[in-house]
Amino acid sequence: MANKNFKLEVWRQDGPNAQGNFESFDIEINEHASFLEMLDHLNEQIMNEGGRPIEFDSDCREGICGSCGCVVNGAAHGPERETAVCQLHMRTFQNGETITIEPFRAKAFPIVRDLVVDREAFDRIQEKGGYVSVNTGPKPDANSIKIGKERSDEAFDAATCIGCGACVAACPNASASLFVGARLKHFGLMPQGAPERGRRTLRMVHQMDDEGFGPCSNIGECEAACPKGISISAIAHMKRDFLFANLGFHK
Amino acid sequence: MTFQSGIPDGPLKEKWDVFKAKMKLVSPANKKKKRIIVVGTGLAGASAAATLGELGYHVDAFTILDSPRRSHSIAAQGGINSTKNYPYDGDSVWRLFYDTIKGGDYRSREANTYRLAQLSANIIDQAVAQGVPFAREYGGELANRSFGGAQVSRTFYAKGQTGQQLLLGAYSALMRQVDAKKSGGDGIPGVTMYTRREMLDLVLVDGVAKGIIVRNLITGEIERYAGDAVLLCTGGYGRAYFLSTNAFNSNGTAAWRAHKRGAYFANPCYVQIHPTCIPASGDYQSKLTLMSESLRNDGRVWVPKSSEDAKAIQTGKKTAVDIKEADRDYYLERRYPSFGNLVPRDVASRNAKNMCDKNLGVNPTGRAVYLDFEREIKAQGYETIKDKYGNLFDMYKKIAGDDPYKTPMKIYPAVHYTMGGLWVDYSLMSNIPGLFVLGEANFSDHGANRLGASALMQGLADGYFVIPHTLGNYLATEKPEKVDTQHPAFQSAEDDTKEYFQSIMDVASKNKSNKEGRTVIDIYRELGHVMYNDVGVSRTKEGLEHALEKIPKIRESFWSDLKLPGETNTFSKYIEVAGRTADFLELAELMARDALEREESAGGHFREEYQTDEGEAKRVDEDFSYVAAWEWKGANEPHVLNKENLVFENVQLTQRSYK
Amino acid sequence: MSALKKILFSSIGKKYIMAISGFGLIGFLVTHVAGNLTLLSGNPDHINAYAAGLKTTLGPLFYPAEFALVGLFLLHIFLAIYINVVEKKAARPDRYRKPQKGKGGPSKFGIAGSNMIITGGLLGFFVVLHVWQIRLSSEFGSKYTTMLNGKEVADIYRYCVELFASPLTTAFYVGVMVFLGIHLRHGFWSAIQSLGAMKPEWSKAIYGLGLVIAIVLATAFLILPIYMHFDLASKLFAGSH
Repeated sequence: MANKNFKLEVWRQDGPNAQGNFESFDIEINEHASFLEMLDHLNEQIMNEGGRPIEFDSDCREGICGSCGCVVNGAAHGPERETAVCQLHMRTFQNGETITIEPFRAKAFPIVRDLVVDREAFDRIQEKGGYVSVNTGPKPDANSIKIGKERSDEAFDAATCIGCGACVAACPNASASLFVGARLKHFGLMPQGAPERGRRTLRMVHQMDDEGFGPCSNIGECEAACPKGISISAIAHMKRDFLFANLGFHK
Repeated sequence: MTFQSGIPDGPLKEKWDVFKAKMKLVSPANKKKKRIIVVGTGLAGASAAATLGELGYHVDAFTILDSPRRSHSIAAQGGINSTKNYPYDGDSVWRLFYDTIKGGDYRSREANTYRLAQLSANIIDQAVAQGVPFAREYGGELANRSFGGAQVSRTFYAKGQTGQQLLLGAYSALMRQVDAKKSGGDGIPGVTMYTRREMLDLVLVDGVAKGIIVRNLITGEIERYAGDAVLLCTGGYGRAYFLSTNAFNSNGTAAWRAHKRGAYFANPCYVQIHPTCIPASGDYQSKLTLMSESLRNDGRVWVPKSSEDAKAIQTGKKTAVDIKEADRDYYLERRYPSFGNLVPRDVASRNAKNMCDKNLGVNPTGRAVYLDFEREIKAQGYETIKDKYGNLFDMYKKIAGDDPYKTPMKIYPAVHYTMGGLWVDYSLMSNIPGLFVLGEANFSDHGANRLGASALMQGLADGYFVIPHTLGNYLATEKPEKVDTQHPAFQSAEDDTKEYFQSIMDVASKNKSNKEGRTVIDIYRELGHVMYNDVGVSRTKEGLEHALEKIPKIRESFWSDLKLPGETNTFSKYIEVAGRTADFLELAELMARDALEREESAGGHFREEYQTDEGEAKRVDEDFSYVAAWEWKGANEPHVLNKENLVFENVQLTQRSYK
Repeated sequence: MSALKKILFSSIGKKYIMAISGFGLIGFLVTHVAGNLTLLSGNPDHINAYAAGLKTTLGPLFYPAEFALVGLFLLHIFLAIYINVVEKKAARPDRYRKPQKGKGGPSKFGIAGSNMIITGGLLGFFVVLHVWQIRLSSEFGSKYTTMLNGKEVADIYRYCVELFASPLTTAFYVGVMVFLGIHLRHGFWSAIQSLGAMKPEWSKAIYGLGLVIAIVLATAFLILPIYMHFDLASKLFAGSH
């Protein structure tokens, strides 16, 4: 239960259009504290001294809601793979280490304040077809659609995306391809999503472009940064479906 | 104000059909003229908003988060119950109803609980039609598992992320309605989404709910929204304990402010303490993490038989593997031979606490028991266990730093769910006409204890299948008069909200350079300690009286010592938290009061004075078979208790026994 | 037409073109290197015949083919610049203040993947130089000619001998071919992924194949300057001519 000392370089920015800069802090914290608990603790220190606390988003703090996210030492969600920053623990870092913390940066994710960014672009992409068009009401018995376990599991793996935006943050081009690909792969693999497969692909991809996300250069850093480890095969799926959809298949 | 449960006539099995047969409908042309406010976009809120949009209403949906997809329903792991009976193991609507009402220690309404069981099959059909990727068998059919003490396999799941997948299903339906509205233009029904908005007040016009006052969490502005009905789908109040498995932003504010406008708060003392959570490890802790109850299907709970062994483990001299089989006490298997490790949550939690009270705990704080998979990994194989629980094991390893494939997990109970909530009638309408309450925010279906895999079921049943009918019936029957945000009631509610908000900020500005000032987290944490110790897993008269003495003092400290960052016109998390803490400081007192008045043990409410010779919960049916619906009388007035007597015509009240 | 425009102007569509033109260029490289390798025999007639044959075999299609090849290059280069300079910058106008770090594992974040525009730029510069030297400069057409089967043809063999006599030129050519290898190391895999022709189970194999192609092509190309510089032909085939 050892305590550790760290030097933090944290990005501070008052608002979307304000000039930002790094601010340094020293902190001592138990190594079993999570990264966000470390920030909580730091904020207590700051507020006790009458300062302005560091703003950051977080909610479930168990890696499933996708609210949290910042770039720690140059990596989205920090150095651990398949880990959201809320699940990163201070035991990962060396005593005395300097840790830099920046917000996710992308044109499509404007900074709200400090480490808080606006990711509503993801919702706007989802609106363009990230659903199966069924109304609530009587439906055929659930077992009347059979879906093989492998196919269903693969769809699940894509559907497990938490929408945190780390893929965009980690991508050298700020591309949202993994996020969009994961949505398209989930619905594309499920027979329920088949009738709208082409339309969904076209609308979501065009919305992705309109939001100002960058192009995909197939570097795969998104997969490495993804807290759920979603494979870039989802991106291949999107590119394939986009071609087929444009050629008039998947109607 | 009305206080009628509104349960339809007729036999239990036909009540919902009777309701639907008699209810009035809103014509399509009229639906287009109706505006519905939905606060909260978890399972209940998202499913309700989506369905109402599909039906042709204009819906305004609000969430405090930046996206509806992040609502805390997403964190539910284990599964969702349904009476599909695919495994053909004897399940039925009646059996699910019976298990639920018995599991809730006979403190819920028969009619509501039965309707929940009836609708459970529709939910699975609906979710599958939306493309929710439930776990499947190789043959392509849906997989089921037994969950949380059920003797049938009626739980549908998607690995350990069932809540996520169901929420994303509801969220996608919601986004479809957002798209419909956006691409359709002003006159076209659908959903308008308002993110990062916190409801701070309910607007009543002549006693009828007509709108809400919200704070825009980005700009700090106070905004008004008017509607023909208001649906609160804002979840539970477990964060009154500070440490819980609830999300950082989960809060009781919307419900509490509605309560202060007249909505009755029912059974606030019914809190579920979930047995399988990762134990707290220090003061820096911000929340506790749940490990799905499904782990108890294959995990075996134990502590060392001797406190010497436990002490050796606590001090790091021994580990689990050093304790021989004969020196282990699998206490749940020993005490409850027929249910074993699968006893309901309240029983498992209490037993864990008892073992640790006997100094048999197994982590440095002495507050943890083992959950061991060794036998099942040997019996079923590593791959099978990994397939079932892989993501949960990974999650545990990430947080606790131990590998559960090699050493047993350490678990301890943590606050998880609140069965209490705003009082609603059979239509899910509170005692304020036009104010409906769905999901965890209401009190209705789980009684004193909720069974595993039934929270998702209730949220979705309320949102997809109940509210579309009952809301329509209200609108068609009561024909509520249309008002807009220019009505004086909105001005007055907005003024009240601003004044209350300012009073918090005034305390903060007074303490700006006060060295003795306290941060909101400091105050909040103190409240949590009192609640956990005195209004927690087991309760006593003395403890509750202590809490009732202590909480007002913490509240006083809040209103005199609070320190906060000062900017109110921008994003400021601690200002949000301050408002929520102020509400919890009032709500917590009511929880303690309710727990003190309820002189019996029922489900999650365990009073040490009321237990059987074997240490099990002892109900006092003749005196306490009622719903405690508390009425707010003003800031300096005590709450008034209204009782709704529970009538049981179909089930025999028995003492729960899981021997 | 608007559908085609929509594909081509989307971020994914541009990458289709990058991939297809990239494959085209790989195809060109294969034919080019096949010609180069005829130099290894040490017999000037082989390479000179190959070069002359290109023109006679293609006949009237020679100039259109050349034109198409130039187009392929220009398309690939233009899109690369547009994507890497314009779009990339637009998507993240406010750069990270601390350098981004790769997380390893499945990531291809590294020298090859992150420097496509730099390796590509160098290759582009080289191609211009190379084409100027042997195709456009008037000196080449008049100075290096020889007779083959009674016809006057370009004497590529002698040109190469003289070109690679300089150690600097040789080193430059070898260096460029190393960059070609690095470019192809990411390029091949990337093209397949861009076309969506990737399945998770193929991913490793295709990434590996990309490495093989990169090494084989780069090696095949860089053999030539070294071979000529050290006059390995006369050593290997001493006495056969």
